[in-house]
Amino acid sequence: MLSVIQNIVSFILLVLAQVLVLNNIQFLGFINPYIYILFIISLPVRLPRWFTLLLGFAIGFLIDIFSNTLGMHAFASVLIAYARSFVIKLFTSIDEGNNPTPSFHSFGVGAYVKYVFVMVFLHHATLFFLEAFSFSHFWLILFKTLLSSLISILIILGLKSLNRK
Amino acid sequence: MRNLINFLIQYSVLMLFLFLELISFSLIVKNQEYQKSVFLSSSNSTVASLYEMSNSVVEFFKLKASNVSLSEENTALKNELIQLKNQLAAITPEKKDSIRFHIPPEMEYKFISAKVINSSTNKLQNYITLNKGIRDGIKVDMGVVSDLGVVGIVKTVSDKFAVVIPILNDKIRINCKFTKSNYSGPLQWTGFNYQYASLDDIARHVKFVKGDSLVTSGFTNTFPEGIPVGTIDNFNIKESDPYYTISVKLAVDFRTLSHVKVIDYKNYREQRFLEQVAKEK
Repeated sequence: MLSVIQNIVSFILLVLAQVLVLNNIQFLGFINPYIYILFIISLPVRLPRWFTLLLGFAIGFLIDIFSNTLGMHAFASVLIAYARSFVIKLFTSIDEGNNPTPSFHSFGVGAYVKYVFVMVFLHHATLFFLEAFSFSHFWLILFKTLLSSLISILIILGLKSLNRK
Repeated sequence: MRNLINFLIQYSVLMLFLFLELISFSLIVKNQEYQKSVFLSSSNSTVASLYEMSNSVVEFFKLKASNVSLSEENTALKNELIQLKNQLAAITPEKKDSIRFHIPPEMEYKFISAKVINSSTNKLQNYITLNKGIRDGIKVDMGVVSDLGVVGIVKTVSDKFAVVIPILNDKIRINCKFTKSNYSGPLQWTGFNYQYASLDDIARHVKFVKGDSLVTSGFTNTFPEGIPVGTIDNFNIKESDPYYTISVKLAVDFRTLSHVKVIDYKNYREQRFLEQVAKEK
């Protein structure tokens, strides 16, 4: 029950932080970190996958409404919500009965960093290519994706290491 | 049997995934017709009022820069006023009823001031939300300028808010010309840096130097002639190309934009109508 409330609060806080603060931080003019996906990243490992997908859609759609990018964030978030379980399986081996929340502690530092990296990069790449809606600016977008991912990953790992259990 | 059920469960997640992605994707495609989505964008009143609240805090930190540019504009306006008074005095006839003056029709416009309550500079398609809408007289296709120069064009309006497509959006091009030579061409954003845009259509024989200024050409109904757009930052031309590639430093700093003016051109309809008629015949 407590973790449900925690997740609801983090949902609201992350959306607000994203649209009110981070969407205004435009480092070097084109780097925009997206940290709201920390919500999807931090959902319990054994949460039913259909529910993860719906939550991913909900948070993406909400961010879309605030940033005039209808559908783009929803698309990218649903994609990583779907990919999540495969990425977790790839980097960790969690016993059938356990249901941990992803963190440095439960995954191990190396596995967690890899997991966050893949999730963030996948999300950002999808988002930026959707935004351009073509491959004509390919290298520019890849460059944007890499830089923005790096900043997002640093912020996410920083936030996570603050409330380490 | 159990395997079958497991299979179906897995399959249903995949179906849900594809279903949600399909919804998202159709939203993106629909969103290209920007007008339709006005209710699900930041001109929606709930979302916009939240932005307005956050803006009232942020605005405080921009006061100083705004003040400086306002006072600069004030001085420029006063100078112009004096100049115009002098001109008027020079041409006013002795007998008052002998000649009637007409203001040139393309000069009949007024400004509606508005405040930026949401904007971005880091995407390929940036948008700006203003706190004025239909009830303040703003209509679609009106030009938007700031004290420093051209900002963009109004794309959608709701009752209280308006969304502007700024120069920093690869969907619009703004026709501008050199102040010195009057050659004109379309200006488009490159999608990378919020301070620079590119001007492509300038032929090889046109002469210009770095630092030359560009103003609006006045060939569209949206902007009157002579509003600053930017200055030439850099240019190059390949041996085989007939046209220059010019990098233009934009006059407006979109990152600190807070107060803008919407141009209400009085004869817009009349001119547009006449041009339409001419095209049809």
